[in-house]
Amino acid sequence: MRAQIASVLRLELRKTFFSRRGLWIYVLAFAPALLYLIHAIDVTRDHEHRQALAAAHPVATEALSSIKQGMSVEQLFSAAGEPYSSRTITQGRRARGGGFRDLAIYQYTDGDSDFTFVVVDGQIERINEQDRCNLQKDSAIFATVFQFFYLRLAVFFGCVGIFMNLIRGEMLDKSLHFYLLAPMRREGLLVGKYLAGLIASVSIFVVGTLLQIAALSWHFDPGAVSAYLHGPGWGQIASYVGVTALACAGYGSIFLAAGLLFRNPILPAAFVLLWESINLFLPAALKKISVIFYLQALCPVVASPDRDLSLFQRLLISSAEPPRAWVAVTGLLVVTAGVLVFSGFRARRLEINYGTE
Amino acid sequence: MTDRVVFDNVSRFYGEVLGVNRVTLSIPPGITSLVGPNGSGKTTLMNLMTGLVRPTRGAIRVLDVPPDAPERLCHLVGYATQFDSFPKGLTGYEFVYSFLRLFGYPHDRCVKQADGAIARVRMTEASNRKVAGYSKGMRQRIKLAQALAHDPRVLVLDEPLNGLDPLVRNETIALFREMAREGRHVIVSSHVLHEVDQISDQVILLSNGYVVAEGQIQSVRGEIRDQPMQVWIRCGRPGALASKLFELDHVVEARLAGDGAGVLVKTRDADRFYNALNRIALDGVDLEGVTPVDDNVNAVYGYLIGEDR
Repeated sequence: MRAQIASVLRLELRKTFFSRRGLWIYVLAFAPALLYLIHAIDVTRDHEHRQALAAAHPVATEALSSIKQGMSVEQLFSAAGEPYSSRTITQGRRARGGGFRDLAIYQYTDGDSDFTFVVVDGQIERINEQDRCNLQKDSAIFATVFQFFYLRLAVFFGCVGIFMNLIRGEMLDKSLHFYLLAPMRREGLLVGKYLAGLIASVSIFVVGTLLQIAALSWHFDPGAVSAYLHGPGWGQIASYVGVTALACAGYGSIFLAAGLLFRNPILPAAFVLLWESINLFLPAALKKISVIFYLQALCPVVASPDRDLSLFQRLLISSAEPPRAWVAVTGLLVVTAGVLVFSGFRARRLEINYGTE
Repeated sequence: MTDRVVFDNVSRFYGEVLGVNRVTLSIPPGITSLVGPNGSGKTTLMNLMTGLVRPTRGAIRVLDVPPDAPERLCHLVGYATQFDSFPKGLTGYEFVYSFLRLFGYPHDRCVKQADGAIARVRMTEASNRKVAGYSKGMRQRIKLAQALAHDPRVLVLDEPLNGLDPLVRNETIALFREMAREGRHVIVSSHVLHEVDQISDQVILLSNGYVVAEGQIQSVRGEIRDQPMQVWIRCGRPGALASKLFELDHVVEARLAGDGAGVLVKTRDADRFYNALNRIALDGVDLEGVTPVDDNVNAVYGYLIGEDR
């Protein structure tokens, strides 16, 4: 039986990894890494530009930090010297009885952060400080993208493409009978196909996750990256990899079963997508009947969407106590195993009737 | 252990649609043809005996193995379906080899058996090309190689001669005969009746999901009492022969050929007719040749099914 499952694996892996029809799955998996890479290149170039400006117009960070609102422009120049950029505008004043005011914008950089001082009528009215990206800020962005795009869309649709194709795709291609005419138990065939889908999806999406993390941290100082890795870094990376693999296992079993049970598995896939998407707004008891609830509980950085939601939407959100990590992992694995056992029973009754596909 | 493929009162319905109904058969080794027009139930019978579909009623046993035990059945059975579809991206050799590996055989054995099966259908030269680039005839042959690569005792072939050129068709028929001589079952379906005549040891005639006749073609023909049997007799004095034949009560018609070369006789009792013909020959009428005209599948099918063909 093991040799037969290995043979199914070989056939399916080749088909899954090298199918032209599956190219979009690679795009889904690797597009975020590409976006992070573009961001990293942009940040690096921006940093180099600031370094060059700082070299031409040197100023200490402490000097820039000491400047406060209400100080005069003379005090600004005395503390920080000449800015690398200055603009003056004479602005008509509509409020306060009309008239004109002189507005000046002075920009400084210490090589890392950019400081913009808005001076009105000789006094500093506003100070904008634009920090260079830092790992803490970027890891929060990564957490949001990972949970709201990567897991819910990329991994989800990737698993739809990979796992539904294992049975239903071959029904449509009229090539499933070659497998059913082999002297192996149908459950063994199903296990072989599931493992092939799992290996393919985990490989593709875990590599996608790692590439995103690599692209994200590429532009930081090696020292900062090393400090991050020796702090929470490796643990977070392991968690993201684990969550990605669990997502593939959970969604994979559901979509393999859907491909086995439904003539048009897109409808159940759409239902699952809807269910997973509205998870945030479901009552606490229903939240727990979903894959994303457990996956989010396992993510190392909490990505809260609350800030961007309207008051009405916030009112709709119900909170449920996130499960402990071991409960989430065990729960997901048990559900996956249950779906696979059920699929195995159904596979025993599987018939070839291409005419009605 | 029986050497038969047995259907015991088997019916299969696809929802409201009838696949086959109340089929009882016992198919011995040799070449058996399932004959019938499209939709008559040939493919359903084949799918039933290979476990690809299950009977709604009744029981099937293939050499004593039920089709719902694929791990045993598929060692015994090889099936080349009518579907002209293949797993994508494989060469002919990879196709045969990969599906042999599903049998759990080791690599060396798979290589040997794949090479042997491919050579048997004369596809060795093209075996390293992608199946997608094959002609229809080549695809038929590589499918046949895949079906027989594990050396099955029952070979089930759905329209196996479709798309083959005459030379390859003859080679393939010779292969079927060779396998039948080895004591295997070669069960083929066809709607080309003259082809069936050429290759079959026995036929199963199907119409609208029912088995309308089965057995050796001559015995099936003999069973059809309401259609007089036709025999073409070449002789020197057809007029004299015709007058003697008219004296027989079971002869319903004796028609002289236009060129005077013989007589076409219709009789309701073939056995008595041949006995009488022997006596006529002993009486001095010179008979050059006696050929049954309608004991072929084409005629039998026409008599049995009539307008349904």
